[in-house]
Amino acid sequence: MTMTPRVTKLALTAHVTSSVGWLGAVACFLALSVVGLTSQDAQTVRAVYLVMEPTAWFVLVPLSVASLVTGLVQSPGTKWGLFRHYWVLFKLLMNLFATAVLLMYMQTLGYLAGMAAATTLSSGDLSGLRSPSPALHAGLALLLLLVATVLAVYKPRGLTPYGWRKQHEQRRVSQP
Amino acid sequence: MSGDAHEADLPPYPGTPRWVKVFGIIAIVVVLLFIILLLAGGGRHGPGRHTGGDVGHTPPAGRTPPVQHL
Repeated sequence: MTMTPRVTKLALTAHVTSSVGWLGAVACFLALSVVGLTSQDAQTVRAVYLVMEPTAWFVLVPLSVASLVTGLVQSPGTKWGLFRHYWVLFKLLMNLFATAVLLMYMQTLGYLAGMAAATTLSSGDLSGLRSPSPALHAGLALLLLLVATVLAVYKPRGLTPYGWRKQHEQRRVSQP
Repeated sequence: MSGDAHEADLPPYPGTPRWVKVFGIIAIVVVLLFIILLLAGGGRHGPGRHTGGDVGHTPPAGRTPPVQHL
């Protein structure tokens, strides 16, 4: 696939913005999760679980999908390709995994938000509502996205067999 | 055949880097762990698995619990 340098730059900007934005949003989500888990104030706990679901739907999910889509669009237009270098391949797999888990986890966040919204909730119920699950998920997601960022910055060497073949095909074409 | 000659020209693949092998092993372990947890939760992903406890009451209308709380 051929892209002009301007389009390549635009696609890269979109990919970096959505990926780093996703990382930042997950960090905020982790902070919310910890507050929900540790706060002694019932209204705060309730507010945290109420706000988590829309935050995830309107920030985390769009950023994760944008990161995946922009990565898929942008990488074939670069010298790195999508399947040529192991670091790109790992980033793709990590992105797919994280997005899938996030989409599956939306059911849980909806459930927690529903519990927090219940008007008959007693203080005892609130302590039952406190769940380490969002913090655990956000912590693991943060770790995964940090690893993806490190891979993107350091670009460790390693061609896939496909990348190796393509590289030599291109060399043969450029040096007849 | 030209295809065979083409293959013969290709230098041997230098092998998979060590960091890829380490990453691959970690990825396989994480995915297996995820599948085991998913199957243990009846194919659904929810808080019951991590909290290990009951949220404590009937979910509000329109909200189905994501897992059977153990």
